[in-house]
Amino acid sequence: MDAAVRRYRVMAYITGTVLIVLCFVGIPLQVAAGNDVIVNDVGTLHGILYIIYLVTAYLLARRLRLSIGPTILMLAAGTIPVLTFVVERWVTRTYINPARQGQQAGQAAPTARTG
Amino acid sequence: MSSAEAGRPAVEQAPAASWRFLVTPRWLGWHLAMVVSVAGMLALGYWQFRRAMEGNALSWAYTFEWPIFAVFAVVFWAKTIRDEFSPPQASTASDGQELAVGIRPARSADRDDGREADEAAPEDEDLAAYNAYLARLQEQVKDHGRWHGLR
Repeated sequence: MDAAVRRYRVMAYITGTVLIVLCFVGIPLQVAAGNDVIVNDVGTLHGILYIIYLVTAYLLARRLRLSIGPTILMLAAGTIPVLTFVVERWVTRTYINPARQGQQAGQAAPTARTG
Repeated sequence: MSSAEAGRPAVEQAPAASWRFLVTPRWLGWHLAMVVSVAGMLALGYWQFRRAMEGNALSWAYTFEWPIFAVFAVVFWAKTIRDEFSPPQASTASDGQELAVGIRPARSADRDDGREADEAAPEDEDLAAYNAYLARLQEQVKDHGRWHGLR
């Protein structure tokens, strides 16, 4: 579970950052200055990273037993600038943290609370 | 939920109800969305392939990317349907049988109350874990019907 969360998070941050560079640096440069270098290179890079993101996000979604709607939102978040980060926080708050609390409550004995 | 349950004839409970969800309007919508999006991805892949053949080197990456997305969509769709038939948590432990019952929204309510009441041995880690797990399931199942079609 922890490993799946870590993989998803790493990919979410990398993919999200690359997408922001692509959209807020690359596309303005292409439109304003006619410079295609960033759009071409970063665009391809984002395409490849997104495939990895897709896999990690889907594996985590299955781990968390999300239903179709949240899963699709999680997967699509890698293609929409800024939303990647928003959704990562939302998934953490709504699904990952409750699942972790459930695990801890299950693993630790009721009296043992070491902080 | 109760109205959907009441409207269904009691006779076809066991075998028919297992695949019936696939032809509910919600699921037909999902099937349609799947077919359209996969066709769209393949079309985009073909379009990129034509551009690549015309000399656009950048299109080669996308020529392979779109079919990968299409395959992923099909895998996603197939696994989602399989999960509906047999929920994935059934495979996690020996308690699979109980969980398959617990995940049904209609029955989980009265089931869980019984579970929560008999947390007899607090030092029993397995039981505590199981109870926590049931509580989590209950939490997750709350709005399941919204997406999975009312069963």
